[in-house]
Amino acid sequence: MSLQVIDNATCTFCGCVCDDIQLHYDETRIHKANKACVLGTAWFLNHTVEHKYPDALIDGKKASLDDAIELAATLLHEADMPLVYGMSNTTCEAQKECAALADQLGGLLDSHTSL
Amino acid sequence: MIRITGGRVYDPANGINGEVRDLCMDGGSFVESVEGGRTIDATGMIVFPGGVDVHTHVAGGAINFARAMTPEDHRRTQAFIRTKTRRSGLGGMAPTTFATGYLYAGMGWTTVNEAAVPVLSARHTHEELADIPIVDKTTLTLMANNEIMLDQLENGEYERAKQVVAWYIWAAKSYGIKAVNPGGVAAWKWGKDAKQLTSPIEGYSKLTPGTIVTQLAQICEDLGLPHPIHLHCNNLGAPGNISTTIDTLKHLEGRRAHIAHCQYHAYGGDDWDTMCSETAQLADYFNAHPGITTDAGAVLFGDTVTITADGPWQHLLYKLTGRKWGNLDVENETSCGIVPYTYRPSNLVNAVQWASGLELLLLIQDPWQVFLSTDHPNGGCFWRYPEIIKLLMCADFRQECLKQLPDKIKGKIRLAEIDREYTLYEIATSMSAGPARALGMPKKGNLGIGSDADVVIYEEDEDVERMFGHPRYVLKGGEVVIEDGEIRETPEGREFLIKPACDPGIDDFMRPLFEECYTMSFENYPVELERIEHAEFADCLGSTRS
Amino acid sequence: MGGKVSCTLGEVKQRADFIVYWGGNPAECHPRHFTKYTLMQKSKFLPRGRKDRTMVLVDIRETKSAKASDIFLQVRPGKDFELITILRALIKDQNVSDEAIADTGLTREVLDDLVQRMKSAKFGCMFFGMGLSMTRGKHMNSAALLTLAAEMNAFTKFVAMPMRGHGNVTGADVMMRWQTGYPFGITFNRGYPRYNPGEFSTVDVLVRGDCDAAFIIGADPGGTMPQPAIDHLKRIPTIVLDPHVTHTSKLARVHITTAPQGIAAPGTAYRMDEVPLPLKPPLKSPYPTDEYVVRRINEAIMAKPFWLPDGSQPQMLTAQV
Ligand code: SF4
Ligand SMILES: [Zn+2]
Repeated sequence: MSLQVIDNATCTFCGCVCDDIQLHYDETRIHKANKACVLGTAWFLNHTVEHKYPDALIDGKKASLDDAIELAATLLHEADMPLVYGMSNTTCEAQKECAALADQLGGLLDSHTSL
Repeated sequence: MIRITGGRVYDPANGINGEVRDLCMDGGSFVESVEGGRTIDATGMIVFPGGVDVHTHVAGGAINFARAMTPEDHRRTQAFIRTKTRRSGLGGMAPTTFATGYLYAGMGWTTVNEAAVPVLSARHTHEELADIPIVDKTTLTLMANNEIMLDQLENGEYERAKQVVAWYIWAAKSYGIKAVNPGGVAAWKWGKDAKQLTSPIEGYSKLTPGTIVTQLAQICEDLGLPHPIHLHCNNLGAPGNISTTIDTLKHLEGRRAHIAHCQYHAYGGDDWDTMCSETAQLADYFNAHPGITTDAGAVLFGDTVTITADGPWQHLLYKLTGRKWGNLDVENETSCGIVPYTYRPSNLVNAVQWASGLELLLLIQDPWQVFLSTDHPNGGCFWRYPEIIKLLMCADFRQECLKQLPDKIKGKIRLAEIDREYTLYEIATSMSAGPARALGMPKKGNLGIGSDADVVIYEEDEDVERMFGHPRYVLKGGEVVIEDGEIRETPEGREFLIKPACDPGIDDFMRPLFEECYTMSFENYPVELERIEHAEFADCLGSTRS
Repeated sequence: MGGKVSCTLGEVKQRADFIVYWGGNPAECHPRHFTKYTLMQKSKFLPRGRKDRTMVLVDIRETKSAKASDIFLQVRPGKDFELITILRALIKDQNVSDEAIADTGLTREVLDDLVQRMKSAKFGCMFFGMGLSMTRGKHMNSAALLTLAAEMNAFTKFVAMPMRGHGNVTGADVMMRWQTGYPFGITFNRGYPRYNPGEFSTVDVLVRGDCDAAFIIGADPGGTMPQPAIDHLKRIPTIVLDPHVTHTSKLARVHITTAPQGIAAPGTAYRMDEVPLPLKPPLKSPYPTDEYVVRRINEAIMAKPFWLPDGSQPQMLTAQV
């Protein structure tokens, strides 16, 4: 099967956020990332659509997504001072949900910048 | 379905001046009548169309930069507490997005025009606008220093320049264009400024600021933009700039235009010591040219943070005040500067600025031509508009305030001699009907059948500032959003866009120039329509959208 | 005095003839920075590209980036703030003692030459990296450098910007500013945003044991933070969202696998100069996106009673101290 191509894809591995990457891919993985640097190439080529990890883990044991979401909500809701932290390797759309989460919980909100 | 009964209605667009009338609304618009639903008894109250801010800075890179630069202000400011359904926020000099919506709606404003969006910052601006609840929004794309467009004008390629402008408006998903300090910002990127309208701009051989003004105004007309060119003249804030301003207006040669924050462009004198108000000259020009509109850009004493897309002016302020300074140059488009600033009555320059804004509002006779604004946050924060209304409606109060100014102000301003007082009808024109018409939004700023049911209801109060600062009810799109000083609902606002006719070949023309100037891929540049929350298309004049 | 004077990378590409990297190693950490934005690009104003530009590297050690530079200044570790202060004095022709200069590990000759070059540049740009912002006196160092750039505008055009690492950390910063007024280190514990980096930043909070649950997304503190912070994460219920099972996942009560951004999750990411770019994921992941999972958690919490009972708090506060 021949590879599909996306032009001007965006690499989020470092703060350069290059948006001129040409990706050659099939259903399972990216085979080539033209214009990306060594770091970017590794980032694109190392991910596959393999079901490599369980959907969720609760106390280290495999669990369903729904159960994990429900437990996460319960634990955060029960806490007096929950912390929402990180947000480096994720989209702005997810980050906005994180800010909404901290706001609704009355908790703490912090990113990698503070390190 | 809501019916408002018994209120004294001020609807200047429909010539209604304080008549007692009922208003009915359903599905977000005014209708002839409704059966059932809630009735608001407004007997003895005053009913206005929701306010429209023709020129403000509430979203995007610049104001967000200002938020970062003023953490000490956030600490002492108004805080909006989180509720089960409503996000928290902070007011102050550069309010957070959620608080911006609460504060505007809280004083009865329901439509705002974000007046300066650098194209590269458009995607970011729309993301912020989506987080400003309640109010409807429009944006203007910054254009007068865009190098790709300027190169077309330099080469006499008017048609091409027009296509480039149309392409940018649609790519940025905006409502029109703003021209800031034509040619001056491009020069500033080299630490220079464009002072003379008729001398070529640094880096160009023929192109002058004057040509940019004339041609951009023509482009706006030819594209049929609902809002004409929104012009921030050269030499903002500088003593003696009145000649530049009048000269700029003459370059319009009879074309429609909106002149931004005219207060900053109406000074006489040769330096800071001799600076004085020349508002009479500017007002005369407006009085003789009904086709141009303006907003005051009034200054209020107190703390604020100034942000404009006028880098040279900001650097001047920084040198004058020695305060913190932020500057942000955006590739191929504009630069913007940010300086926290305190306007003081004891400072002669500030006193002239304060008086000039009010003078223009009072000396320009037709309130359909001059609108309430502070160029938020530059002259003062938008949530202080009720203070300006009081100054316009109460001559005695103005005289009282004049007493705080230093003696040396004599001969520099005219305000003491003006006894005009705005009527409620004129206030409704200047805060709502006028700006809506200037923006080309027929469904805003009026209470006619079919228009958007945006209404503000005041309880009559001798203290005008309190009355306008604390409306009894505010309705947005037929929904009660503010009642008795409490936020009831926080619906999402809409964004108005236009799609000017554009030659499909322009993409191929733009691509190589774009990739040479910018650092992002041409394909990734246009803001996707799906990103605009509740996009609403406005029609271009004299054309039908395909 | 002071402030922040910045620009987008396109301005640097088009105009900057003088580029300083301070405390960063772009050659290895931001590999395309030189080629795409700073050194190698030709433009209308700098037609000869690299030949029209001067690059200075300031760092405590000679990294690979030094090879790309025209001038390498090896500053003594922990002396960045002093060096910036000296430069601020030198540009204004103020006196600086020989001892003060020697203390930074550099010579007067070198610094005079640098100042002369800075002033004669047409457009200068200073990028500062982790080496400056994450070492002793971190916030003071970056503030001082921003001030130096602002002050240079008395002579010529000068700007400064941080070299952000780590994917979309800039996006988080930008979004938190518009939603809360602050870039990071925020608490909502009174129902509205408050900020105090030393107090509410994560390492401090964890080391003091101040939080009683943690939601970690797009980061792996279990692999990078000091041990006492990690110990606290083990003690409290920790929830992790990540495309991989990370160090932190292993000590967490809940781990949820999500789709990696830009590869299988769509959305937006901000470049270090705060320009947002759309993501174009080629793959379809078997896992949901972060956005979807956090929204579901938000909805689940929304269904539970709110922590502030209705009417127990005013809607607004006017004066805060
Ligand atoms: S391609 Fe390289 S330089 Fe560009 S964003 Fe990815 S990791 Fe950074
Ligand atoms: Zn403005």
